[in-house]
Amino acid sequence: MPFLRFVGFSIVRAWQGFWRNAMMSLAATATVILMLVLLSALFIVITGLNSGLEFIESKVAVTAQLVDNLSDENRDELIAEVEAYPGVASVDYVSPAQAMARLRAFYQESGRELDLGATNSPIELFGSLEISLTDPDASGDVGASLAAHDDVERVLTKQAEYDTLLGIINVIRTVGLVGIGLVGLTVLFMIINTIRIAVYSRANEIEIMRLVGASDSFIRWPFILEGILCGLVGALVTIVLVAIVWDPIQPAMVTIFQMPTAVSTQFLTTLSVLLLGVGLGVGALGSWISVRSYLSAVH
Amino acid sequence: MVDLGMTYPNGKVALADVNVAIARGDFVFLVGPSGAGKSTFIRLLIREQVPTAGNVTVAGRDLLRMRRSQVPALRRRIGIVFQDFRLLPNKTVWENVAFALDVTGTARAVVRRRVPQLLNLVGLHDHAHHLPTQLSGGEQQRTAIARALVHDPAILIADEPTGNLDPVTSWEIIQLLIQINELGTTVLMATHNQEIVNAMRRRVLALEAGHLVRDESAAAYEREY
Repeated sequence: MPFLRFVGFSIVRAWQGFWRNAMMSLAATATVILMLVLLSALFIVITGLNSGLEFIESKVAVTAQLVDNLSDENRDELIAEVEAYPGVASVDYVSPAQAMARLRAFYQESGRELDLGATNSPIELFGSLEISLTDPDASGDVGASLAAHDDVERVLTKQAEYDTLLGIINVIRTVGLVGIGLVGLTVLFMIINTIRIAVYSRANEIEIMRLVGASDSFIRWPFILEGILCGLVGALVTIVLVAIVWDPIQPAMVTIFQMPTAVSTQFLTTLSVLLLGVGLGVGALGSWISVRSYLSAVH
Repeated sequence: MVDLGMTYPNGKVALADVNVAIARGDFVFLVGPSGAGKSTFIRLLIREQVPTAGNVTVAGRDLLRMRRSQVPALRRRIGIVFQDFRLLPNKTVWENVAFALDVTGTARAVVRRRVPQLLNLVGLHDHAHHLPTQLSGGEQQRTAIARALVHDPAILIADEPTGNLDPVTSWEIIQLLIQINELGTTVLMATHNQEIVNAMRRRVLALEAGHLVRDESAAAYEREY
């Protein structure tokens, strides 16, 4: 019961404090919202790009075009050999006829007809091996081994695309995190000041509390909860904003970034947990710093 | 207090070699000119400050060895009232008294029982829902005394409690302090009010320039011999 009294007391006092100092509290909450909106945008972009990266990884990582007139025996030997390379998940053979069928299908999908000039065209495509990897980093080694092989005409890898995308993600992640870190410091500073003003405006009350024997936690927690309240309100408002814009964004995430539907439906929950955690954390940290410095000064 | 000394970081000696024992149930006046060390004396008793020499024991507790976390429990054994009352202006008489219980985690049922008892004791039952600004100085000081007594303290310290009051009201406050003392609470009252000290003939501790220059029973404000 004493603990419940303490919790009830602290929450009521925090709520009163938040509204007594409404302008400062709302300003601090607004900066929390700004920070969390930036964080959400970064999280959406990074998650999208990561999905794209995973999509590329999951596709054929290395394609080896085979020399003309390779016998079935030699081809099967080559397949067995490639399957034994470290990091190789599977090897599929695509015959020249299958490659041509794919090309026609691709043209048809985009509403055109593949025109090869004559009905029985001598043009033939390469037969190829499509190799998927268990470890995307192995594509360099697998590609090099294949390129050195006599039965292989040409090697195509997704390494360049993969590296480019990874580079973009890393730059966005770094720039985004630095930006959010700077905004985060501003938010922390705002909350420290808001709570400090609240503490000074109630210096008389604090003095009376100390004189009548209130413990430090009774003095400290209402202020810490007041800071947490700024973070909580900021996080809830941001979650509502993100939920509103997420509806039009979600299909784009699936089509542009190839985000799996399972990830996109769970996305809002994951982001909400992140926003609540960061909002409450910054609020608690800022107010804790503020109250701690004041109380150690008066003791 | 044993060989008590307090020197501030700027070198000012606020108290030196003070030896005093106050028995339970005593009524003691603390007198002396401004700057004699009365406020420091009180701050050391409630452990607002820690002495730089000697030792203080209050209600059986060694204040020098006391951990910070134990200070709130000590302060619940000591009630304190000030010249300027220090009431919260936006709270009623009832709320001001209840506040001291609320902030120490007292159960609601206890608060509802205790506050009227104290308001009856100080004669403010009819003013329970008035704000401090609607009260006279004497009534405000009574409210502060009720608040100081919420935890049923062993000691009541009154720092110039009549300093802002007219003579008639001052006497009413003194009568109240005597009544509280008769109920068993030790009372230590710092004052400049010669008339009251002379009329009461209680124990007097006199400080001058940080030294205890007089400790007499049934004494007057000034030395009489």
